[in-house]
Amino acid sequence: MIVGKQKPFEQIWDMVKAYGSILVFGCNTCVAVCHEGGNKEAQILGSLLRLKAKQEGVTIEIQDGGIERQCEHEYFKSVAEDIRKADAVLSMACGAGVQFLGEKFPEKTVLPALNTTFIGVVDAPGVFSERCMMCGDCILHLTGGICPIIRCSKSLMNGPCGGSNKGSCEINSEVPCAWQLIYDRLEGQGRLDLLDAQIPVKNWSHSRDGGPRKQVREDMKTGNETAAGKAA
Amino acid sequence: MTQEGVATAEEIVNIERPQETLPSGWEPNILAFACHYCAFAAADLAGVMRLSYPTTVKIIRLPCTGKLDPYYVLRALEGGVDGVFAAG
Amino acid sequence: MSELRSGSNLEKVLKAGHFALTGECGPPKGANIEHLKEKGSHLVGKVDSVNVTDNQTAVVRMSSWAASLILMQMGLEPNFQMVCRDRNRLAMQSDILGVYSVGVRNMLCLSGDHQRFGNHPESKNVYDLDSMQLLSMVKTMRDDGKFLNGEDIDKNPKLFIGAACNPFAEPSAFRVRRLAKKIAAGADFVQTQCIYNMDRFREFMKQVVDMGLHERCYILAGLTPMKSVGMAKHMAKSVPGMDVPDSIIKRLEGAGKGKVAEEGIKITLEQIEEFKQMEGIAGVHLMAIEWEHRVPEIAERAGLLPRPKVE
Repeated sequence: MIVGKQKPFEQIWDMVKAYGSILVFGCNTCVAVCHEGGNKEAQILGSLLRLKAKQEGVTIEIQDGGIERQCEHEYFKSVAEDIRKADAVLSMACGAGVQFLGEKFPEKTVLPALNTTFIGVVDAPGVFSERCMMCGDCILHLTGGICPIIRCSKSLMNGPCGGSNKGSCEINSEVPCAWQLIYDRLEGQGRLDLLDAQIPVKNWSHSRDGGPRKQVREDMKTGNETAAGKAA
Repeated sequence: MTQEGVATAEEIVNIERPQETLPSGWEPNILAFACHYCAFAAADLAGVMRLSYPTTVKIIRLPCTGKLDPYYVLRALEGGVDGVFAAG
Repeated sequence: MSELRSGSNLEKVLKAGHFALTGECGPPKGANIEHLKEKGSHLVGKVDSVNVTDNQTAVVRMSSWAASLILMQMGLEPNFQMVCRDRNRLAMQSDILGVYSVGVRNMLCLSGDHQRFGNHPESKNVYDLDSMQLLSMVKTMRDDGKFLNGEDIDKNPKLFIGAACNPFAEPSAFRVRRLAKKIAAGADFVQTQCIYNMDRFREFMKQVVDMGLHERCYILAGLTPMKSVGMAKHMAKSVPGMDVPDSIIKRLEGAGKGKVAEEGIKITLEQIEEFKQMEGIAGVHLMAIEWEHRVPEIAERAGLLPRPKVE
């Protein structure tokens, strides 16, 4: 899932303080799992901002709300009026959700409450860590199911480098060396021979480097995907 | 069941007022969230024993303090209470 | 290793079976080249080739190709280093063509230290290729005359291709296999990380020889003389992938005031003597960091002077 982290409160306050009315708007799927941008967090942030406004003696009408996902048209229908009423929307979605909201309501100022951090997993309650950078050209079958592109600090495809130290990366002893993990996994599976072959140079055109990506399932397509006409 | 919870809630919104600026006889408005099974029962018992506590303390019964949502605390502060007391 | 691949002096010395000696020179942190020239002047005629580092430890310095050129004009043969951290495949290939065209004949392919260690820790690292893939690319450019995309190159860059190897990093069981992988990728010669733990290095070389890797590639043992006890302790504790045994630190501590540097040099000389006899070792790579002026003395005392001239 997508993991995000709320921007520092003061930074959020600086973004919103000039508006007469704002809607603090949660996104209740990915970023709710990491307790940063869900509808519950929108409610709390809304309250904190109201208290802050009171403290600062600033008059802002601050509402909170949210939908299931800010990256799909259908969820916006019931909240279009609330969005239109506010001078600005403080979106608690990931970067995709913030932009999608902006596309659907192009006249509206949309502000990001979160920094979108990574695609990751829930290691333990409250602990999230990165696993994938969406390179668009998966090589997990070659690396024992552990991604060196994102988990090696140098994205080495034929590691480990000389800085691998007692299972840790040279940048920080808290960071596991991805290539040590790969080695251990493959050794355990009796597949170390996989590492004798060079993993070839990567085709980064499937990644961000190839420009913004898009994919279409022709069999599922039902109509015009442009956002403008879809503003609820 | 200490007063620590109150101080924390005040810190959150940074509304602590210096002692000397308070008018004499001022009493803080406290909202107490009490667990049905212990703290609320204790408050009940206090009543039966005719013990008194300040009238500025209002009690809300929760089925358990695990039900105490951060938003309840914030709403209480937004509503103007001076402190929140969680007991369970 | 039948015919010359690059015709570099280093290649010729190694091919003729001489025990090679390479040095190292870091480019300046500025456009002032006086110190670089001063450092280089100590090495002229004393080493077969001199490594010119590429933003080492991720600290911005003069480009390695420019410093290579300056040293070349002084009569030194550069071993141009390139790291994968700062360039994508376009920049890499264009720099490879560039250095070759101005006369560089040796090139060392490295991953590069992570930018976290350097003076621009907020930078974005590139790693379009890793060191293994860089080796393959340089080899393909040289031997097949092809760019990475398969297009023909108008005149192949004939470079003597080097790789680094750290016998002391982990997982230790994989280090020899990774060296084999680098040789398969295109390494003609290898310079190792600084060696202090001779027991572990002997064990490593035994595996190298058992696999016959020394017959497919020249292996130069990396050495850095210890200047002080503090330096030894720092390397033992803080430099990633470095194995400095306590016995070395104790020996330096026991040398007495004012004699530590000499003891450090003695350790280096003893190591060189052993390397001369060690099966699979083709020479030493002396990284006398900011101690270039001591290189002639070390080379002399190690019996490595004069350097052979091979036509």
